Amino acid sequence: MSVGVPPPVPSSPFSPAVQPPSSAAALSTETVTVTIDGRVHQVPKGMNLLEACNQAGCNVPYFCYHPGLTSPAVCRQCLVDVKGSPKPVPSCYTPVTDKMEVTTNSPKVLDVRRQMLEFTLLNHPIDCPICDKAGECTLQKLYFDWDAKLARNDGIKVRKDKVVDVGKNVVLDQERCILCTRCIRVCNEVARSPDLTFVNRGDHEILTTAPGRRLDNPYALNTVDVCPVGALTSKDFRFSMRVWELYTTPSVCTGCATGCNTEIHSSRGRVHRLVPRQNLDVNAFWMCDEGRFTYKELHQGRAVAPRAAGSPADWDSALDDAARRLRSALDAGPQRAGIALSAACTNEDLHAAACLAFDHLGIERVYLTGRPAGWHDDILVSADKNPNTAGARAIAGPKLKSAADLAADIKSGTLGALLAVGDVFDLPADVPLGRVDALVALASHMTAMAEAAHVLLPLSAWAEVDGTITNRQGRVQRLRPAIPPPGDSLPGWEILSHLARKFGAAMELDSARAVFAEAKAKHAFMKDADWGRAHLPVQLRFASSRG
Amino acid sequence: MAAPSSTETETAGPRRVVLGVQEALDLDAPDLPSEPMPLNMGPSHPAMHGTVRMVLEVEGEKITTADVQIGYLHRCFEKESEHATWTQIFPYTDRLNYVSPMLNNVGYAMAVEKLLGIDRRIPERAQFIRVLIGEISRITDHMTCLGAGAMELGAFTPFLYLLKAREWLYELLEELSGARLTHSYVRIGGLTHDLTDDFVPRLRDIINRMRGVLVDCDKLLTRNRIFRDRMDGIGIISKEDAMAWGLTGPVGRSTGLAYDVRKDHPYLVYDRFDFDVPVGSVGDNFDRYAVRLEEIQQSMRILEQAMDKLPAGPFTLDDPRIALPPKSETYNSIEAMIAHFKIIMDGIHVPAGEVYSFTEGGNGELGFYIVSDGTGRPWKCRVRPPCVPAVAILGKVLPGLFIADIVPTFGMMNMIGGECDR
Repeated sequence: MSVGVPPPVPSSPFSPAVQPPSSAAALSTETVTVTIDGRVHQVPKGMNLLEACNQAGCNVPYFCYHPGLTSPAVCRQCLVDVKGSPKPVPSCYTPVTDKMEVTTNSPKVLDVRRQMLEFTLLNHPIDCPICDKAGECTLQKLYFDWDAKLARNDGIKVRKDKVVDVGKNVVLDQERCILCTRCIRVCNEVARSPDLTFVNRGDHEILTTAPGRRLDNPYALNTVDVCPVGALTSKDFRFSMRVWELYTTPSVCTGCATGCNTEIHSSRGRVHRLVPRQNLDVNAFWMCDEGRFTYKELHQGRAVAPRAAGSPADWDSALDDAARRLRSALDAGPQRAGIALSAACTNEDLHAAACLAFDHLGIERVYLTGRPAGWHDDILVSADKNPNTAGARAIAGPKLKSAADLAADIKSGTLGALLAVGDVFDLPADVPLGRVDALVALASHMTAMAEAAHVLLPLSAWAEVDGTITNRQGRVQRLRPAIPPPGDSLPGWEILSHLARKFGAAMELDSARAVFAEAKAKHAFMKDADWGRAHLPVQLRFASSRG
Repeated sequence: MAAPSSTETETAGPRRVVLGVQEALDLDAPDLPSEPMPLNMGPSHPAMHGTVRMVLEVEGEKITTADVQIGYLHRCFEKESEHATWTQIFPYTDRLNYVSPMLNNVGYAMAVEKLLGIDRRIPERAQFIRVLIGEISRITDHMTCLGAGAMELGAFTPFLYLLKAREWLYELLEELSGARLTHSYVRIGGLTHDLTDDFVPRLRDIINRMRGVLVDCDKLLTRNRIFRDRMDGIGIISKEDAMAWGLTGPVGRSTGLAYDVRKDHPYLVYDRFDFDVPVGSVGDNFDRYAVRLEEIQQSMRILEQAMDKLPAGPFTLDDPRIALPPKSETYNSIEAMIAHFKIIMDGIHVPAGEVYSFTEGGNGELGFYIVSDGTGRPWKCRVRPPCVPAVAILGKVLPGLFIADIVPTFGMMNMIGGECDR
């Protein structure tokens, strides 16, 4: 993934809570010697034995261990033989010590592992065909890899509640739960909201909400991600799509300035869900529920065709009209013309807009718009709901005015012409947009600005384009196209280069990558950024075995 | 199977035997002046099995050059296979040599089993059944070739007799697999299900009736003057050429090259059966006819021995990672449900590596070269189709022959478009 960190880095906005318990930073630099399956390895002192084994390529399975959470050692899948220990030890709970001799594949270990799986499957319902997790289920994967024996027991399974409405976004099936406690730890350690607990004992033990609470914390859907089976499912995603049919594209959440790394899961031109992708420097393994739902905007209220003077137009005549209106306004008085840059646009779109407005048209009024600020916390969510404020500020330069200034200038009539690049959501409803003589809007959604514009040029959105955005840390992160853009919409840099041609200005922009290279050469904050590798969408069924 | 002794004319090119009526015609026809003429035969031609195009240059009736162009039935078998799970490829293999689909099923399954390292663990009953269905397919393959070949030379009766007998076998396989032609009966690790209860008695009955049909056809064709005139000494291939061009199967054996994968590299349980490998001595069309006719007899011998020795036992491997568990288990236990789900949705996990596995197909050595990257689908699945060399050598065999000789020569090569073009 592309990463460029400009100096000076703002102080880290993250609490230690989202940092994994044994992340590299927490480990000592001292190393110890450990023998794993007959081969000698040097690992940091105090490292978790399970991580040491898997780092050595020995493939120790687990349900309850999670690299972002503490280890309770309840699932007993990661048992290994340690020389000198009378019985197998849970490797996720054992720190590596010097001269330790470990066997991960002795007959005893394999047998214990298989027996634990058989035990876990004893009361597991036969739900795969109707279970949302099927296809990315850890229980399926571990059974296939480590057990692969047919049932020896045909007794009656213990029945529990199958549809428990535990929270706004999550449904619980208590029968499927294998009691690994991952969800409880996510609530306690990541969301810092102890909403879930176990009650009862033995095969009557169930997961439930703690007394007087519901699973309504802003990070509740992370419990669905970490659930190794289909016990916790997302109300939004459940029964909408079989996971193995989905194609995955690495991307970045555009819901706020944090820029959590995500995977877009899409199929046949529709995004079905966003899930977090590991990046220890940004979001570790997590993302907020609000960010997951940002995909819905891709399929709602989109601007799909160019419009000029209130009626549909083809691209060429719409661009002609836009250029004519802006030109006559600029001729009347260049100081009355302005450009509004949305902080939701990519660095590439903003760079192209800045080139056109500043270098070719001589516009001096520049406003920063986007989405209005919102709630925040000290875990992941930022008050700035725009994904690329840092990039917009750096590209637009010091003269940047605010959305409030834009509203005031329109009201007072000082703004005669406006080129709005990207969606503008933060203007008050009472701003008289009709006072602007020439209003040209590049918009992906039908905002008030797009409705009022004399010329509307439809913009492709974040899941449909190649490009980069800059998060609040100053990291330049890459967006990749997962689905085709709707209607006739185009990426912003492409629209702007067509528009420039109508003004007789030559901006030689022929791909997002070329614009990126040009912007990188020009702007200091992008100097360490890297475009990254090409990525072909992979169907989840073939994206190695998930779960 | 030497060509019968008769008068021979001194013509350039391959040895040509002229008998009776033909000889009289030759004597009557003076050498008329002729100039080279391009002649296009196919891709759609009544005497062509499948779609294939021959661009000929002829002088009068005599062929001077022949350019045989294949590929009209290309279906992207190999590319499609890269996007299907290991099990989903079986229906594609049915459509390779579509007159002997079971042989393709078996050949493909054995290649994947070799890569999985389970080729020695396939239950004995499954191996015997694979031999049974494979030899039935070989008989249907040869019957189609002989019947169609005779029909194209005007002998319609043997064609109807042979296809009648072929239909008995197709009906048997249909009862077994549910499909007359596209059986998809074999699975990695074994078979989809066991033989039907009356399979063995029905097959014995069919073999008895087939013997009569074969006697009839033998009488109608083997000493038929018209048939022999068109077959003897036409399209001769030397043993050296057969080796140089990679000819296998009945075409290769007609030249005297006694190569049969079942004998030379025994697989399944072929080493437990007593059977002969017939070879020709001249390498002409008649030898190819005679080799196939005899191979039907040998296949029937194998069938009878396999039915006698057919052991009881499981029909598929007992490993839920490879073979689907029984449906009763799948619907009633979570273990079998997961195994079923993983095999169907993700595919069998075949370890990374490459393998070449070959069996005796209807037309010769049917090879599968498979590369796995460790996922549920092949990274590459290449087929060595045995009839490609046989079609390739036509460009060498045809020049010097007459246009009318193309029909029996091409017919006896037994090009199957589905296999040749894939």
